[in-house]
Amino acid sequence: MKKETKASSPLRGDKRGAPVIIEVRGLHKTYTETEVEVKAINGIDLSFEEGEFTAIVGPSGCGKTTFLNMIGGLDVPTSGKVFINGTDISTFSSSKMIDFRLNNIGFVFQAYNLIPVLTAKENAEFIMQLQGRPKAERDKRIAELFEAIGIAGKENIKPSRLSGGQQQRVAVARALASKPKFILADEPTANLDSKATAELLDIMHELNRQEKVTFIFSTHDKRVIERAERIITLEDGKVVSDIIVNI
Amino acid sequence: MDLLLAWRNIWRNRKRTLITVTLVTLSVTVAVFMRSLQEGSYARMIENAVGSFTGYVQVHQKDYWDDKTLDNGMTENDTLMEKILSADGVKGVNLRLESFSLASHGNSTKGALIMGIIPEKDTLMDIQSRIKGGSYITEEDSSVILGSKLASFLNVSPGDTIVLLGQGHYGQSAVGAFPVKGIAKIPAPDLDRQIVIMPLKLAQNYFSFPNGLTSIVVLFDDPQRTQVITDKLNATLDTTSYKALSWQKMSPEMVDMINSDRAGGIMMIAILYMIIAFGVFGTVLMMTEERKKEFAVMVAIGMQKTKLATISFLETILMNSIGVIAGIAITIPIILYFMYNPLMMTGKEAESFEKLGIEPIMPTIMSFKIFFHQILVILSISLVAFMYSLISIMRLKIIKAIRR
Ligand SMILES: Nc1ncnc2c1ncn2[C@@H]1O[C@H](COP(=O)(O)OP(=O)(O)O)[C@@H](O)[C@H]1O
Ligand SMILES: [Mg+2]
Repeated sequence: MKKETKASSPLRGDKRGAPVIIEVRGLHKTYTETEVEVKAINGIDLSFEEGEFTAIVGPSGCGKTTFLNMIGGLDVPTSGKVFINGTDISTFSSSKMIDFRLNNIGFVFQAYNLIPVLTAKENAEFIMQLQGRPKAERDKRIAELFEAIGIAGKENIKPSRLSGGQQQRVAVARALASKPKFILADEPTANLDSKATAELLDIMHELNRQEKVTFIFSTHDKRVIERAERIITLEDGKVVSDIIVNI
Repeated sequence: MDLLLAWRNIWRNRKRTLITVTLVTLSVTVAVFMRSLQEGSYARMIENAVGSFTGYVQVHQKDYWDDKTLDNGMTENDTLMEKILSADGVKGVNLRLESFSLASHGNSTKGALIMGIIPEKDTLMDIQSRIKGGSYITEEDSSVILGSKLASFLNVSPGDTIVLLGQGHYGQSAVGAFPVKGIAKIPAPDLDRQIVIMPLKLAQNYFSFPNGLTSIVVLFDDPQRTQVITDKLNATLDTTSYKALSWQKMSPEMVDMINSDRAGGIMMIAILYMIIAFGVFGTVLMMTEERKKEFAVMVAIGMQKTKLATISFLETILMNSIGVIAGIAITIPIILYFMYNPLMMTGKEAESFEKLGIEPIMPTIMSFKIFFHQILVILSISLVAFMYSLISIMRLKIIKAIRR
């Protein structure tokens, strides 16, 4: 197994040595509900630092989604531990875990998953609203984000009337609005055409630089992989390579 | 935010929500109207038979009710009267002497209920306001008032004289000729067919029963206090001689009839509500099932399940409240209309009511209780339906639901 440790990498540039926010140790996930046991994650040790822009890549079925679900606290490992900011998240009750996700993790899904009855703006501020942030703060933040991601003017439109690319931008805005510690995006561009994919990637990367927000996204799209600063490749639930790219 | 989300969610499938709301509205409308018609008729029935005739409570000599003869009567008695009047809530009494006789005029003879009353004081029957021909009697008169149906059967008009023949106190015969001073329309049909009203003193003479009484009607304001007052009287009176009876005890047939009729009506409404419950449940079930993925997304990004359940609860309550409010809004004018323009029964049904001594009309009643019961029923249906979505939300598996 080829594995390059981040700290020793000469390619990290200005991001080298930032504080570790996610640490994964001895992670295993075995699905037993199926006829044949599936070892979706089969021993992963990794850590992620603040400000990363990282792609988890590999063929379909290699365990990308399962991995992201576990570091996002949506799923529980069969063995091994996930530490976020040094805390073992398996110690959280399910309600505490929900609050933890609310305040620390942003999610972007392949299928956008916006709330259909809410407008673009209401969707984007949804998390801030759950956090109880005041209206003035929300308005300011959403206006700023919509401007940055190029959907200003679409505030009052319902998701069903937006294109896929626009919906995914709203989803990125929703994930980002509350300034979470990191954002997990599972194949965010899989449903987008190449133009929308390129635009979304630009936006994500720009936000990564400006807001110093950590992005971890899975993909099997070459064009997306090319844009990552760190590429972690999985195969059969194991890390087969972990490369840091200087771009 | 919860309320806004809930409101928008229920209108996602406009057609389905409208159908559900309409079902609830219809059932509430039908239920409220039927119940108010039923209770209105009962109230009218009780009012006619009890409220303006027997009174809600009477005191008798203890054996009188089981064997209604003059020999089981009592005599006017100050201590008894004081005890009754001093009972808490009692406003007054009406003294009566009642027994049966034959009444004849010309060639017609008919059994009649002779009632001696104190004309000015018998506010309960309020015969004075029911006079259709002639005029009312006074305490000193030696003339009588006839029920309108009896008068027409005997072919009597005011000014005519009728002959009464019966049995008086202790087997003495009672005979007399009495001028008819007035004809009264008594709202209870079977009474109207047989009643002869005369001043108490005249009746006591006719029956050779000086100071004799058969019944003391106890007057008080709130019919709801019937049982309380009955119990109180029986506690203070000398029960070796006297007994107070509630109207329910005096007219058990009416109580039975009302109860069985009411049960029948409630049964029908229960079936109606059962159907509605399935409709509401189906809608909530669909609203839950089709949004499991959305629920999972919301929990994934940080919404507590309790909050999600709150929204789902609001959705159910909102939808049903619209139905209930619309139902009530529709029913109120209908009830008001039929309160002032009561339905008249016709044909066989009317006849059978008349036979029971009940006016064949069905007024409605505006009763907060009836509305309240429907609200409770719909609320319960909502709660049961909500249980389904609550359980689904609590059991929601985020990963599984998002993968769908
Ligand atoms: N809930 C599940 N039950 C059983 N097997 C599962 C479940 N989720 C994922 N798997 C299996 O685990 C493996 C990894 O899946 P996944 O993490 O979705 O891969 P990827 O996202 O890289 O395509 C696959 O073989 C998949 O079939
Ligand atoms: Mg996947």
